[in-house]
Amino acid sequence: MNIIVPIKQVPDLVEELEIDSSGKALDTEWLKYKVNEFDDHALEEALLQKEENGGTVTAIAIDGDDIDKALYAAAAKGADRVIKITGLGDNPSNHEAARAMANAIQGIDYDMIFTGVQAVDDRDGQMAILMAHYLSLPHVSVVTSVEVSGGTATVQKEYSGGVIAEFEVQLPAVMGIQAASETPRYVPVARVRRAMRGTDLEEVSAGDVSVGGSTEVNRMFKPESGQGAEMISGSTEDIASKIVSLIKG
Amino acid sequence: MDEMTRVIFRNFPTWMQVMFYAVAFATIAFFLYGFWLRYKKYRKGRDSGRFNNVAGRFFKALGKMTTNSTVMKRDAYAGVAHWMIFWGFIVLLIGTAIVAIDHDFLHLIFGIQILKGTFYLWFSLFMDLFGVLFIVGLFMMLFRRGRKPDKLDYTRVDRDPEEYNRKGFATDDRIFTWLLIVIAITGFFIEATRIAADGFPEFEKWSFAGYALATLIDSVGALNPIHMAIWWIHGVIVLVFIAYIPYSKAMHMLVDFANLMFTEDDAVQNLPRVTEEKMKEGMGYLKLQDFTWKELMDFDSCTKCGRCHVACPAKNSGAPLSPRDLILDMRTYADSTIGKSEWFGQTFSANGNGKAKKEPLIAGDVIKTETLWSCTTCMACVEACPVGIEHLTTIVNLRRTLVDEGDMEDMLQDALMNIGDYGNSFGKPERMRAKWTKDLDFKIKDARKEEVEYLWFVGDYASFDARMQDMTRKVATIFNKIGLDFGILYEGEKNAGNDVRRIGEEGLYEMLAEDNIAAFEEAQFKEIFTTDPHSFNTIKNEYPDFGGEYTIHHYTGLLCKLIDEGKLKVSDKLKGVKVTYHDPCYLGRYNGETSAPRKLLEAVGVELVEMPRNKENSFCCGAGGGRIWMDDSGLEERPSEMRIKEALSLGDIQYFIIACPKDYAMYSDAVKTSGNEGKIAVRDIIELIEEAL
Repeated sequence: MNIIVPIKQVPDLVEELEIDSSGKALDTEWLKYKVNEFDDHALEEALLQKEENGGTVTAIAIDGDDIDKALYAAAAKGADRVIKITGLGDNPSNHEAARAMANAIQGIDYDMIFTGVQAVDDRDGQMAILMAHYLSLPHVSVVTSVEVSGGTATVQKEYSGGVIAEFEVQLPAVMGIQAASETPRYVPVARVRRAMRGTDLEEVSAGDVSVGGSTEVNRMFKPESGQGAEMISGSTEDIASKIVSLIKG
Repeated sequence: MDEMTRVIFRNFPTWMQVMFYAVAFATIAFFLYGFWLRYKKYRKGRDSGRFNNVAGRFFKALGKMTTNSTVMKRDAYAGVAHWMIFWGFIVLLIGTAIVAIDHDFLHLIFGIQILKGTFYLWFSLFMDLFGVLFIVGLFMMLFRRGRKPDKLDYTRVDRDPEEYNRKGFATDDRIFTWLLIVIAITGFFIEATRIAADGFPEFEKWSFAGYALATLIDSVGALNPIHMAIWWIHGVIVLVFIAYIPYSKAMHMLVDFANLMFTEDDAVQNLPRVTEEKMKEGMGYLKLQDFTWKELMDFDSCTKCGRCHVACPAKNSGAPLSPRDLILDMRTYADSTIGKSEWFGQTFSANGNGKAKKEPLIAGDVIKTETLWSCTTCMACVEACPVGIEHLTTIVNLRRTLVDEGDMEDMLQDALMNIGDYGNSFGKPERMRAKWTKDLDFKIKDARKEEVEYLWFVGDYASFDARMQDMTRKVATIFNKIGLDFGILYEGEKNAGNDVRRIGEEGLYEMLAEDNIAAFEEAQFKEIFTTDPHSFNTIKNEYPDFGGEYTIHHYTGLLCKLIDEGKLKVSDKLKGVKVTYHDPCYLGRYNGETSAPRKLLEAVGVELVEMPRNKENSFCCGAGGGRIWMDDSGLEERPSEMRIKEALSLGDIQYFIIACPKDYAMYSDAVKTSGNEGKIAVRDIIELIEEAL
């Protein structure tokens, strides 16, 4: 079972976030990055599948802040190939990123694509969907369990209200992973260092990523607090008359 | 005076003498073969770098052996009994050697005899005296064993009764003791029958025990054949014993001397590094050949005395770890794979986590994962061991294997990830490290920007744990008040790594040590101090291996020094207050600092009532070695709660004094969870200083 895992670096939310002078994006100067938590689960699920059924795991990412570190960590955890897509500008849209991913994995033999169901930095949740679209593959999202048998996979999807739905999907397919069946593993520093020395970090060009359109942030801001609330107290009559006077202005 | 001697091989025909020598030589060959088997086994281990200063090591071990000091420690009864058996054995061995040299060498070759006259009289006296001591010691041991002390209980804490069989251990114990008893008693009977058969010569009264026994058996008659029969029984049993030595518990007489000789006083204070090669192929131990020969010898050195078993906080709290059993399991496993030497051993199932498909994993099956993670690295086992076993190097090396395979619980994993990402286990951003200083009414110098005399290494818990920050500010305020020139590294400091290393995450430890040393190098200071005994240990003992050599004080030591120099003045204001003091493992046991905190307590006037387990024998709070980041809800009773009970057993004690940030967190909780709130208050020693200023 060969699995491709697109991963992404997102700002570490432990740090306090600042909006930059444009008012449309985060101030990246002091940001620390870490792997998107859902992508970490996607990678873990892929590695668990590999351990159970054999095959390979390929981690792939768009070039960006600290991305080498993330890819080496993926290799240290057990990814067989790690690929960095270059040639895209800063902050490509998810449409462009999905196009670039779809281009980059041409020529790689795969049965499944696992990626995080969403990323904490854009809450777009469309990466898996867009890739499925560009690759003309079936797609299931919010996946919490994958069981492969022959050319199909039985996947579970978490519905709201604690209900789970089970699907059978023809492979190859793209899945948006909500949670791996085990907590993403710890990778010891020695292994990361070993991976940094011994792993071939492949680079491929993004290719043609022209897409019809995409979204743009108008304004980014922190929740603005309102005027505050006034609690009206007193007897029922007092309260009633106060409300009346407020309505009358 | 020439007649004052005894006849060797009295009344023995020549063929009988020849037969005895033939059997004796065969026995010695068998003994040497067993000895060689052991040697071959240890040769399979890695080099341990312990062949420096061999003469010094020899005499140090000789001192421990001849005085039995390590056996006497905290168990006078067993110590005295062992001393009697030890010296009884040695004197009787020397005596027999003198007989052999005199008879087989001096007499046969040079035709002279020294074992006669006055020398023979003194010889007789000494042999009888130590023979009696020998027997008394052995019976003391039998009596002790009969009372079934916890130490000698072979029940396992990590496996169900049907999962193991340890009857071999008990058999070996019995064979060992009874062989020695029978040898000693038959020896006296040979002497008695000879004295009686010779008609009670006056000079034989020097053999006081044999002479007395002779008067009792005189009426039996047929003394000459009885003498010969007992001689043979004695001789054969002695030969059986010699043959038995290298295959049994009796081997401790030889191996344990070597183990004491090659043990290192700072073996666990300064853990072995992982070699470059090992780092490349996966740290930790996977096969027996990965162990050093000293570690392989550790496994064979254990006499099952159980001192570590009863001292261990994990075992005492119901965790599935007994340091004794860990060592014995490793011995059994080594015996089954790289060379069998023990005849009477144990069997146990080595499929701990059900992973044993083909070869059992050492870390995971032979020694269960949960066993390895139960260790608090408090060092009580190593300190208690009378024969120099270094349990902790084995435990940490096996933990390194678990870490390499990611075999750990989520909470610990999170802590390691946080330390890797932010340099602290709390998962707080680096720049928050010095946030505790905000509430001070003065500014602490930034040692990275200006020169200070003392660099304060604050540590994670003192910096981030809300319960501890008050104490940290008190330390700062006092040092500021007395005008001590000190500074901190602010966000330049990272977790010191002491416990990260003991978890087995050596790669992360190296990173932390290198980063902290780099920060130290950029700062300007003369000496370091810290309130954290864990940071104190690794900076003092382990950073030098990474190129960072510093003088570091624990704050208790520094406060003492400042009092001595007259820079800190305290009064005995707290006179009449009864307190007890808990020695932190990494201060008292690891680094021998037990006097400074006590001097401080004396200076502030409190009355110190010691807990039964104090100083080097202190009982761990349960937080060390990364346990503070692991789930302790499965324990029957937390070590910290047991410790609070120990303090309460002293009667009316107001304060439970600690000198370690982790202890403050652990014991404040334990007072509450054990339902003793209001009965005793946990206080940092700095609070007493503050009150007595």
